[in-house]
Amino acid sequence: MFKLIQLIENFGQKGLAFCERVGIAGIFLTRTALRRPRFLRFLPLLIEQLYFIGVLSLVIVVVSSLFIGMVLGLQGYNILQKFGTVAQLGQLVALSVVRELGPVITGLLFAGRAGSALTAEIGLMQATEQIASMEMMAVDPLWKIIAPRFWAGVISMPVLTAVFDAIAIFGGYLVGVEWLGIDAGQFWSNMQAAVDFRVDVINGLIKSVVFGCIVTWIAVYQGYYTVPTASGISRATTRTVVYSSLAILGLDFILTAFMVGGW
Amino acid sequence: MIARRFLEFAVGLFMILGVVALVVLAFKASSFSQYSQRNSYQVTAVFDHIGDLKIRAPVTIAGVRVGEVKKIMIDPVTFRAKVVMFLDKKQQNLPSDSSASILTAGLIGANYIEIAPGFADNLLKNDGLIEETHPAVILERLIGQLVYNLKGDKEKDENKKTK
Amino acid sequence: MGPSGSGKTTLLRLISAQLRPESGKVFVNDIDIHALQTKELYQLRRSMGMLFQSGALFTNLSVFENVAFPLREHTQLPEEMIHDLVLMQLETVGLRGAHGLMPSELSGGMSRRVALARALVFNPQLMMYDEPFTGQDPITMGVLVKLIKHLNDILGLTSIIVSHDVAETASIADYIYVIAAGKIIGEGTPQQVLHNESPIVRQFIQGLPDGIVPFHYPAIHKYIQDLGLCSN
Repeated sequence: MFKLIQLIENFGQKGLAFCERVGIAGIFLTRTALRRPRFLRFLPLLIEQLYFIGVLSLVIVVVSSLFIGMVLGLQGYNILQKFGTVAQLGQLVALSVVRELGPVITGLLFAGRAGSALTAEIGLMQATEQIASMEMMAVDPLWKIIAPRFWAGVISMPVLTAVFDAIAIFGGYLVGVEWLGIDAGQFWSNMQAAVDFRVDVINGLIKSVVFGCIVTWIAVYQGYYTVPTASGISRATTRTVVYSSLAILGLDFILTAFMVGGW
Repeated sequence: MIARRFLEFAVGLFMILGVVALVVLAFKASSFSQYSQRNSYQVTAVFDHIGDLKIRAPVTIAGVRVGEVKKIMIDPVTFRAKVVMFLDKKQQNLPSDSSASILTAGLIGANYIEIAPGFADNLLKNDGLIEETHPAVILERLIGQLVYNLKGDKEKDENKKTK
Repeated sequence: MGPSGSGKTTLLRLISAQLRPESGKVFVNDIDIHALQTKELYQLRRSMGMLFQSGALFTNLSVFENVAFPLREHTQLPEEMIHDLVLMQLETVGLRGAHGLMPSELSGGMSRRVALARALVFNPQLMMYDEPFTGQDPITMGVLVKLIKHLNDILGLTSIIVSHDVAETASIADYIYVIAAGKIIGEGTPQQVLHNESPIVRQFIQGLPDGIVPFHYPAIHKYIQDLGLCSN
C-alpha cells in the first residue's frame, strides 16, 4: 500500500517537474523570439546561421525526397494497376507528398541533422563557459547566439519542404512516366486537377513552419539548459531528436485535423 | 570563419531554390481553385439523392468544367439535399429552366454535376435556383430494379404459358 | 582560498550576478546587484571582468577576433583603432605574435592569457579570476602570477582570485579569506593567515593530509567487519 502511495507521489513529482521545464522553455522562447529587432546587426548573424542550418541540410533533403518520390511512384503504380486507374498516379504521389510526407519527413530529417547539431553546438558552448563569458562581457547570448539560430530554423523549414515537395513529385514522375510508361499528359493533368494550391500546398508549408518552430525551439532549449558535461551533451542531443520527432508527429495529426476536419 | 561573400551567396541561392520549388509546385503540380466569390455567381439546386457528390466536385456544361460545388446541406423541411454551386461569371447565360443531373465519371468514379441548358428567355442569376434536377444513380437501387424487372418478366412468361 | 567544494566558485558567480542568492545580498560598489534590471546589470558588468577556469575563448574566432569581440559589440570604433587596441592588449600579455592563431591551437596557459587580454579591454575596475593557476606547469604559472600582480598594480584594479594554490596566491595577495563549507574560517594578510592558529586553516595552508578534514571517508562498518573477519 505504501509503495503504491510512493509511486503516485513520484508520478506527481515528475509531472510537476515536467510542467516546470515546459514553463522554463516557454519563457526561454519568449525571451529569444520577442525582442526589439535591430536588423542591421542581426542580419549577418542570421545569414550565417541560415547557411549552417538550411543550406547544409539541402543535401539530405534532396536525396531523401528523390528516393521517396520514386518509391511512392513504384508502390503506387503497383496498387493502382489492380484497379486500372494507373493514370491517377500523379495525383497519388502529389497529394501524399504535399499534404503529409513533405512537411513531416523534412521535419524529421531536419530534427536529426540540424536539430542535433544545434543542441551539440550550444551545449558545448555552455560546457566550455563561452556563454557565461559572453554574459560577463555584457553581451546577451540569447540575442547573439540563440535568436539567429531560432529564426534560421523557422525560415529554413518551409524552404526545405518546398524543395522536398518538388523533387519528390519529380521522382514520382521519373518512375511513373519515364520508367513505367504512364502517359505524361495524363500524369500531370490529373495531378493538377486534384491538387489545390491553397488548400494542399500552402497548408503543407504552414505545417512545415510550425514544425520548424518546434524543432528549433526544442534544440536550442536542450542545448542551453544541458548539464555541461560530455555525457550531458550527448543525452541532450538524443533528447532533441526524440522529442522533436514525437512533437512533429503529434502536431501533424492536430494540424491535419484542423485543416481537413475544419474544427 | 567562412568568407562572408560565400555565405551570403549560398544563402541567397538557397532561398531562390525554395521559391523556384514553390513556383514549380504552383504551376506544374497543382491548380488554383478558380472559383471564389469574386469571379463566380452562386446557384442552388435541390436533389432527391446526391450519391457520392463531394464539395469541390466539378460542375459541367456539355462536359466542360464551369464551376464547382461549394456547400452541401439538407433542407430541414423537405429532407432533400441542397447543393450550392459557384459558377464562372463568364457563363451567366444559363436559361432559368435548365436542369441539373448528378453523373458519375467513368463507371465507378467520382460524382459531378452536369447542367443541361433549357429554353426559357430569362436567365439564371446570382442566388438563383435550378428547379429541375435528376438525382444520382444509386447502384443498389439499379440492381434492385433489375432483379424486380427480371422477376416480373419471368411471371409474365409463366402467365403466358399457363394461358 | 579553501578546500574543494567549499563554495569559492559559487561565491564568484554570485558576485558577478550569474547566480541568484536564495537569501542575503551582494553589494558591488555599494549597488545591490541582484536588484538591478538586466540593462543596468549589463552596464555594471562592463566595469567588471572575469577570467574563467578554461579561458572560455570563442572557438570559432581567432585570437585577434576574440580580443576584438567586446570592442566590436559595445563600440563603433573604426577598424584601425580596434586593430591597434587589440594588439596593444595582446602585447601586455605577451601574445602579440599569436594573434592569428585559433583557440584550438593554443596551450592552456596561452588561452588564459588571451582571455585575460580580452577581459581587460575595457579597463574594468574589478577583475575576478576563477582558479587561474590550476593545472599549469611552473613556467606558465610564473607568467600568470606575474601578469596578474603587474596588471593589478598598474591598472589600479581590484582583483579577486579564487584558488587553492596557497604558495602562488599568497605571494601576490594583499588580503586572504579562507573559506570552508560555505563559511569564512580565517582571514587576514598572507602573514597572518600563514600563522593562523585555527586547526582547519592550518591543515589547509600546510597541506596536512589528516586533521579536521579527515583522511578516511566515514564508513558504516568497522574495517574488520568489512573484511568479514568479525560477525557484528
